[in-house]
Amino acid sequence: MSHKVRRVYGYLAEFKNASQLYKAAEKVRDAGFKKWDCYSPYPIHGLDNAMGIRSSILPYFVFVGGVTGFLTAIALAYTTQVGLYATVVQGKPANIFTVPAFFPVMFELTILFSGFTVLFGLLGLMGLPRWNHPLFASKQFERVTDDGFFIAIEARDAKFSAEGTKALLAEIGGENIELVEDDSE
Amino acid sequence: MGHFVTSKDIAIDGDHLTFGKLSGLKTITGLVGGVGLVVGVLYLVFGVKGAFGGDLGSSKFHGSFAFAWLFAVFFFLTISLGGCFWTFLHNLSNAGWGTSVRRLKENLGFVFPFMILFCIPFMFPNVQQYLWEWLDDYRNAVKAHPNLSASDALFRSADTHDHLLAAKTFYLNDKMWYLRAALFFPVLGFFIWKIRNLSIKQDTDPNPGTKNLFAARGLSSFAMIAVGVTLTFMAFDWVMALDYSWFSTMFGVYVFAGSALSSMAVLILTAIILRKMGHLENVVTQEHYHIMGKFCFAFTVFWAYVSFSQFFLIWYANITEETRYFLLRNTENWNLLSLALVFLHFGLPFLALLRADVKKNTKFMTIFCIYILVMHFLDVYHMIIPERGPSVGLVTDHQPQLWISGAWLLDLLAFAIVACGFVFIYLRHLTSASLYPNRDPRILESANLHN
Repeated sequence: MSHKVRRVYGYLAEFKNASQLYKAAEKVRDAGFKKWDCYSPYPIHGLDNAMGIRSSILPYFVFVGGVTGFLTAIALAYTTQVGLYATVVQGKPANIFTVPAFFPVMFELTILFSGFTVLFGLLGLMGLPRWNHPLFASKQFERVTDDGFFIAIEARDAKFSAEGTKALLAEIGGENIELVEDDSE
Repeated sequence: MGHFVTSKDIAIDGDHLTFGKLSGLKTITGLVGGVGLVVGVLYLVFGVKGAFGGDLGSSKFHGSFAFAWLFAVFFFLTISLGGCFWTFLHNLSNAGWGTSVRRLKENLGFVFPFMILFCIPFMFPNVQQYLWEWLDDYRNAVKAHPNLSASDALFRSADTHDHLLAAKTFYLNDKMWYLRAALFFPVLGFFIWKIRNLSIKQDTDPNPGTKNLFAARGLSSFAMIAVGVTLTFMAFDWVMALDYSWFSTMFGVYVFAGSALSSMAVLILTAIILRKMGHLENVVTQEHYHIMGKFCFAFTVFWAYVSFSQFFLIWYANITEETRYFLLRNTENWNLLSLALVFLHFGLPFLALLRADVKKNTKFMTIFCIYILVMHFLDVYHMIIPERGPSVGLVTDHQPQLWISGAWLLDLLAFAIVACGFVFIYLRHLTSASLYPNRDPRILESANLHN
């Protein structure tokens, strides 16, 4: 048996139900932790407020994505249909006054680019795709998809301490407090 | 975040808007609306050529006022129809969030049956001669050839334009027109009256349950069809038929998009004002404004989508009998209005409403909703008023007059009269019952809304 030094991921604590998890989350938030998360089998209304999560930056990405799509469409339609190879259809002029014909392209590309930005921006912000999560090392954490409510505070957090954090979790009603080690190689 | 609303926060007997604060407004709007209604209707119906001296007796003035009246009435019809639509949608979709503002929707929708008072003039040939000239042509042709079918009679008419009308007699004939007009108000009026009544009865029910809710939901499935059909055919018969040679199957949807948007703006304004007066305190939160703002955003886009789709197909195909509507509205200064609608009715509101926090900001939403109503004003103006010049103006060198100078004053006058009548009826409904369904089983769910 070789002894390996393993990185500590953080503390995992179980809570009885959604309401306890909610109240505990408020206390962890007020204690000033930043790198921590709640885990529950289903979405809990208002938990993001209890956790003090600010609204996502994603909408700004999407706005930029949409504007990019819009400008791409204008450039694409105008350069090809007016600049490079003027196409006269139904006696319509081949100039900027043909712009209604370009609207569907503008509309579709705005939506396409926005949609892609939502998908890839979301995956990027969530750090997906990933093969493993350190919490999967915990046996009890398997119940999170069934009936388990958990809070995990990461060791990366500036306020983390081996004793203090454990005491805090116990104080706010956490049970089965476990120090989770990252077992990924 | 406010505290969690419990049944202790809900007034047992409801939240009643008292006369005291509003008696002044009610008196003024009732007086102006009532007197204006009587004078306006009398003038339109009996103001025949020569009945008055000077300008007042001229057909140009009389006809201009007929268009102004149609414009004003149609503007408020769309808003009350939108109120019906939102009421039925709330019941049908079984949505929990809207229970707090449901009574406002019902009150707005219930203005619709009373709007019949303002529609009286449209039933008289004296007004129809300006607005729907084809009705006169039709009657004259039938009178001239009593032994022929209406379509054959119109084919024999000296005016070749009537041949287009002859092909459409299955829809555009006076009896069917009157029949449809006679069905608009009673059918939809019954539904909105019944559904509002079910809701109000629940307020005093000692054992409030889901019985009335289910009844309203069942009724709403039929009422939703009624509102769609009424709105569509009202738009066809009263606005699209201003020019019988033109047709667009999208016109009803186009009118609907504007009506849903502007009625939502009225609902938001009402909720904001009532909250400011100290009502709806525990049940309407910024979350409700957020959802209603999202509806505004959605219908801003939908309006643009539908109105562009209507324009786009006609513009591309470029078929003579389809283009007339847009030719007229793209001529000279009307083109400015058409372009302004693109940027001001769609572009600006679209960008302004993108952010979530502005929808929760009551100051911003107050300004925005008033702005939307101004845009709806211009939108309805753009539908109806360009037809006035060719109808009542002079034709010189085969060029119809596009703009009757000074007639916009008549538009504002008619608008003010109908607006006063509309506000008066709306206020009466608001004061006649609790402002929110206080014994609805889902009022707490709605009050604690989080989205």
